[in-house]
Amino acid sequence: MKAFHIIKEHIILPRRSISVTAQRNDLMEFFDDKNNWGVQEVKTGRSWKVEELRLKSNSDLHKLWYILLKEKNMLLTMEHECNEKMIIFPSPERIDKVEESMENLEAVVRERNKAYHLLETGENGERPEKITNNAFGLQHVYKESEYAIIPKHMNEEWLRKDSYRASGKDLRDFLLKYKEKVFVENKKKKQRDFNHVCGLLKRFPNMDMEALKEQYPDVDIEKAKNSKRSRGHFVPA
Amino acid sequence: MRLTQILSVIGKYSKDYSNLPDRYIKRAMEQVYWKNPTGVQYRPDTEIKRKTYRFTTNRPWTAQFRQQNLPGRRTKKVFVEPIKDWSYFRGDRVEVLVGRDKGKQGFVKQIIQERNWVIVEGLNCHYRVVGRDQNYPGMVIKSEAPLLVTNQVALVDPSDFKSTPIEWRFTEDGQKVRVSSRTGRIIPIPASAEETVDYKSKKTYNEQPKDTLADDVIAITFSPKLETFEMSIMESMGIKEDRVPPKSYWY
Repeated sequence: MKAFHIIKEHIILPRRSISVTAQRNDLMEFFDDKNNWGVQEVKTGRSWKVEELRLKSNSDLHKLWYILLKEKNMLLTMEHECNEKMIIFPSPERIDKVEESMENLEAVVRERNKAYHLLETGENGERPEKITNNAFGLQHVYKESEYAIIPKHMNEEWLRKDSYRASGKDLRDFLLKYKEKVFVENKKKKQRDFNHVCGLLKRFPNMDMEALKEQYPDVDIEKAKNSKRSRGHFVPA
Repeated sequence: MRLTQILSVIGKYSKDYSNLPDRYIKRAMEQVYWKNPTGVQYRPDTEIKRKTYRFTTNRPWTAQFRQQNLPGRRTKKVFVEPIKDWSYFRGDRVEVLVGRDKGKQGFVKQIIQERNWVIVEGLNCHYRVVGRDQNYPGMVIKSEAPLLVTNQVALVDPSDFKSTPIEWRFTEDGQKVRVSSRTGRIIPIPASAEETVDYKSKKTYNEQPKDTLADDVIAITFSPKLETFEMSIMESMGIKEDRVPPKSYWY
């Protein structure tokens, strides 16, 4: 027993500049503090911002990531448990705050790695992507994958999967109809916006035209003013 | 990108007071009826979801809002006058120009920017009878009705306490301020504009048990070095890696 105390006293704890939860190391770490069970709301601060995370060292970010991950696990467990017990999970926005912090943290780590790779190799070191045509003849972003041993021309399975490309009359017909659909959708949206502007002009003849122009930059306002749709129920002066 | 689509309809000033992250507001109000399955699709990430919502005094993240916008419910379109600069903030002294409280002055309690509304404390009220049945006469609840900022309220000039039209101008320091068109006096934005459900002002915020202290947040522990994140973590943990990865191909 005495030896144990000695060991415990001599453990050098790392100095943390980030607040941490009490270490329990048991299954109850998946659950919130008992004081927060069944309450209406749990007050918390905001999420970490990118500019704050940029000030932190790599090891601090590493520690913070696991703190956030544990918190997220805890919150998701609590949410699941509350759903099981048919009670309201207090302050569900906590999950979003933690996830937002984790996204920001990852962005900062990527930023640092990118800077290193650009300096050392001239490439950003991210997973390569390129814009190609997919099987339907439409443009899409293809994210490349890493393959050990076999290069592309020897990888028969990959080539077989990638080999299908629509072509000929089928593709031409499809693309014609697809483009027509997109065109009609855009045209309808334009007409809808125009009609809405007419409705606004009818209801608020003295409104701020600059604000209207800002909100609907694609609508010809002079044309809308002259439209039959924008005439109000009054005798024009 | 999609986050801004749904949130672009909710005004900044109407969500500031709640102090909720945008992500949560989106998650709480979104109604997705169908989503394209993952895999090769000719139109990936296609969703069928509610596009227009009816905004009322109920805030988008509440259950009452969901009740008013139940899936499949369609309501008449509301025309909202476009406004260039929002000029009404929480705590502003305003004069009511219409209704039974015409001419009275009060303070802005709530902003509902997506309808151009403000709620003025204690003015333009109506009464509702709740819980009336055969044996019980019911309870009367008084609540404020919203007022349009375009023609139903006006800001009050602090020099003579009379209503005035305003315009936004720049001071010599480059600060954007509201100026009374009648007297040319600056109408300052009240301190309560900064207020949220969690704090009165940022300085008086009460730290919660899981918050990181402000001093720790601004402490700089990063020193730039020519290494990746992984390299620095491996070094601090004493992990040595001398294996050479075999050649791999990216395609």
